[in-house]
Amino acid sequence: MSTLDLKSVSKSFGDAKVLHDIELSIKDKEFVVFVGPSGCGKSTLLRIIAGLEEATKGTLHIDGEDVSDAHPVDRGISMVFQSYALYPHLSVFENIAFPLRVAKMPEAELKERVARAADILQLTDKLKLKPGQLSGGQRQRVAIGRSIVREPKIFLFDEPLSNLDAALRGDMRVELSQLHRNLQATMIYVTHDQVEAMTMADRIVVLNAGRVEQFGTPMELYHHPATKFVASFIGQPNMNFLPAKVTGTGTTGLAVQIDGGPALTLPVETSSAAVGDSVEVGIRPEDMAQGSGGLKLNVSVVERLGGTSITYGTTDAGTRICAALDGVANVREGETTELVLDPKDCHVFDASGTVMRRLQAPELAN
Amino acid sequence: MASSSVSTHPTKRPARLSQSAFAWILIAPAMLFIAVIVAWPLAETFRLSFTDTRIGPNYSYVGTENYQDLAESRKFKQTVSRTFYWMFLSVSLKLVLGLIGATLLNAAVPGRALFRILVLPPWVIPIAIGMIGWLWLYNGAFGLLSGVLQSLDIVDKSFEFLAYKRSAFYSAVVADVWVGVPMVTLFLLAAMQGVSRDLYEAAWVDGASRWYRFRRITIPQIMPVIVSMSLLSAIFTFNSFEIIWILTEGGPRSSTTTMIIDSYKTAFSSRKFGEGAARTIVIVCLLGLFSIAYLWVLNKVTKYYGTK
Repeated sequence: MSTLDLKSVSKSFGDAKVLHDIELSIKDKEFVVFVGPSGCGKSTLLRIIAGLEEATKGTLHIDGEDVSDAHPVDRGISMVFQSYALYPHLSVFENIAFPLRVAKMPEAELKERVARAADILQLTDKLKLKPGQLSGGQRQRVAIGRSIVREPKIFLFDEPLSNLDAALRGDMRVELSQLHRNLQATMIYVTHDQVEAMTMADRIVVLNAGRVEQFGTPMELYHHPATKFVASFIGQPNMNFLPAKVTGTGTTGLAVQIDGGPALTLPVETSSAAVGDSVEVGIRPEDMAQGSGGLKLNVSVVERLGGTSITYGTTDAGTRICAALDGVANVREGETTELVLDPKDCHVFDASGTVMRRLQAPELAN
Repeated sequence: MASSSVSTHPTKRPARLSQSAFAWILIAPAMLFIAVIVAWPLAETFRLSFTDTRIGPNYSYVGTENYQDLAESRKFKQTVSRTFYWMFLSVSLKLVLGLIGATLLNAAVPGRALFRILVLPPWVIPIAIGMIGWLWLYNGAFGLLSGVLQSLDIVDKSFEFLAYKRSAFYSAVVADVWVGVPMVTLFLLAAMQGVSRDLYEAAWVDGASRWYRFRRITIPQIMPVIVSMSLLSAIFTFNSFEIIWILTEGGPRSSTTTMIIDSYKTAFSSRKFGEGAARTIVIVCLLGLFSIAYLWVLNKVTKYYGTK
């Protein structure tokens, strides 16, 4: 058992408040990813959990026990740093053994544990080398090895893949997911890369300006973003937002007139909306298709990737749009095309950026 | 077309110096400068060391007689061992105090910028002036140190620090350390600040105590700087002249006479330029050997502790 509960955690550096009353409950064996843009407070939150920073307010509980003032070792956490923080003068073996040497573990047990970690991480033939002789991915594994030998309750990762090249990042993502399955441990992972978040997380915490925007599974976040911020942050390319006016409300949905586009009835909860309100209709680039009677798009750039054609342009109302069309779609730069929007794929955000819940999202999302 | 365009222009390139000739021309002024102020005096000293040159204009070559005299002289052997003891003691103290000082200055205490500035004076003020200050401190009749020791009843009458063989030697060591510590401190501090904070945080998260972190992270990480500082410091200390000269002039009874003082006294006080030159050539050889050994060690250490 290793659960983590944050209760009303706030953090200020001088006058600057970087975290506002964070409430989180992380379950046993869960892989949770903190994601958000630079400066959103995700690393600070991780450092508070690690014990490297003290929360200005609020408490931290691991397995129900208040550990707000406990040392990281007593918290039962270990951390992998973005820079890996390997000791350049020590061999791979000694780097991995470091926490055990600190704990004065008997030599025999220490050797066994390091050997086991090295085996899991495929470092057995590298134990005598220095970190400087390893590749980026191997260094990353050494850093992970150092964190697993202590057998902590909770693993913390601070942007561990950001120093690797794209191909290696993909491989390490898979390795980390496997590691999580093998170790059956609670893991908290910080990244600014939404792809890492979507692919690895059991649940994702989206942070924005020191507040939790949404905490849910990747599919929840994708299909039911709670706010416009989450909707724009999750998904690649980013979601399009079309300004619209509410023309009618009812139990089956919301009737809207898109600026410079068609009138649609969207299947969302309408309790908070009134006729005449300004809203934004969100639609993902991959949910758009060419067809007649839809939204007119003045195409400016087409990026043909083979399988898809990422098409950029503006509507007649001047809204910038990105659509992921078919690889062989008949679109040309400088010409116009029409895009049809399927009402069940549309998200609606009110003026404050809060979503009106979709009623017909795919089943997997619920 | 292509062949004709190649053949019409080939002789238009201006005549050029070869690259190596150009490089020689560039470094020639520096070479000349070094030849005049380093190489020529060194060669002259070397030549002089095989003569019996004194103040007069006439001299003759005496072969290796000056060196034979040195090899047979018990006094010179004492001077050599005293010099190495002086160097070892002073450099060790400078390194230990420098390391302690750098660690304290690296600590996150309020006003540490001020403390960092306060370390500098011994290094910044002219050595001669600093040594006059130490002369006053060491003075038995009105010196501060003797006065304090008397009022604490540690000594019963005034104590002249520079008047006895042993106390003079250690007093000179203290003054030399006082001059040398700031530089060592600042270099080690700079090295410490270059150590990544992540390493300390990672070790702290793993439960390493302050002392453990110092021993297993700080020291290995700054080891190359410690080694190079000890080489520099050793050479400075070996050649430290004005500190001893102002305090004791090598006395009492040669107890603070290091090789450099001995050479000066022989050459300029006794006007035996030939013998003095022989002594300085011995110093050059010893320091040369010492530097080679040190660079070898430095290379090993740097390799062992890896690069960042």
